[in-house]
Amino acid sequence: MTELERALVALGRELDIPAGPDLRSRVRERIERKPRQRRALVLALALLVAIGIALAVPPARSAILRFFHIGSVTIERVETLPAARERSLVAGLGPALSLREAEQSSGVPLVLNAPRPRRFYARPGLLATILNYHGKSVLLAELQGDQTGLTKKFAGPDTRVEPAPIGSFGLWLEGGKHVLTWVSSSGETRQMERRLAGNVLLWTEGNRTYRLEGGLNRGQMLDLGRQITR
Amino acid sequence: MGRPLDESDLIGRAKRGDTHAYEELVHAHQGIAFRTAYLIAGNAADAEDAAQDGFVKAWRALGRFREGAPFRPWLLQIVANEARNRRRSAGRRAHLALRAATEQPSGDAAPSPEASLLSAEMRGALLAAVNELPEDQRVVIALRFFAGLSEHEVAEALSLPEGTVKSRSARALDRLRESYD
Repeated sequence: MTELERALVALGRELDIPAGPDLRSRVRERIERKPRQRRALVLALALLVAIGIALAVPPARSAILRFFHIGSVTIERVETLPAARERSLVAGLGPALSLREAEQSSGVPLVLNAPRPRRFYARPGLLATILNYHGKSVLLAELQGDQTGLTKKFAGPDTRVEPAPIGSFGLWLEGGKHVLTWVSSSGETRQMERRLAGNVLLWTEGNRTYRLEGGLNRGQMLDLGRQITR
Repeated sequence: MGRPLDESDLIGRAKRGDTHAYEELVHAHQGIAFRTAYLIAGNAADAEDAAQDGFVKAWRALGRFREGAPFRPWLLQIVANEARNRRRSAGRRAHLALRAATEQPSGDAAPSPEASLLSAEMRGALLAAVNELPEDQRVVIALRFFAGLSEHEVAEALSLPEGTVKSRSARALDRLRESYD
């Protein structure tokens, strides 16, 4: 070690770095709380998040043509879209919360390798926030993977659904508007919100499903998605 | 009384869901986790949150931890990532400060050989020079010399190749030498 390096070590000992707190009880409380919360969700307070993609073909009768699953999301193609209208990206997601409040409320720890916004939204099993990327607002939603079957989508005929190279498995939805519904359930299915949605990137990684929605193109959305879980 | 468990035993138990074993791992590593987070985030509140969230995320990721690998660099990578997120979010640069000149370094009755190297004036000048370094070099120097991490641990914590850590460290030391000599 050179003289300068020894001087830096000495300097480090004299820096005004406070003693860290004892984190044991807080960490233990958090890691023991989550499984209980998840079980309670499944049994009593499970939130159903429904996202729909449907093929709107002229015949008035609505019928499901196809559906498939990605992580927590089920995508359904139907002949006619359910009635819906343009709404805010965060419609149906409740009031704005701090990150800590949202993580506690959702039971989902945030994965976001990017500057963190100030406002978050939570439903049991789902954590969401609005990111700004290339000057556009993008809704990021992270869903706990063990709540499979909680989401579904309906798409119009102009909506393209294609594989996307991200995570374990990814899908890119672009084109015609599709209908997004957030549905809650406490023993019974109850629809909370329904709105038209724009371009969407969906992917799974580990036991989590990620969903990005906004006015970005495929390349921009993939760049953003890869940054989030980098 | 049973024998003290070594780290691999604790990790094995924690992976099987033993929160008491994980608590012992938290106890063993919380000091370096907080210090690492502080040197990146630049303030105690963010460092505390980053360290706590890092331990919780590490617990959830234990299933992916490779058996037999060193736990500390893996943990510090998670904690450092949390600290970087908080610093970016706040949009500020971390600046380090010295203790009051009259305060003795922790607990030592006599100054250490390293401490005797530095006069108050030199300490101030060297710290100012560290704070003036480009951010990528400053963080490497802080983790290497102020947190006492090895080059390998710095590389893990910052998700960088070891060669990059070496080159950033060398460039930073060249700059600091100009202030110190």
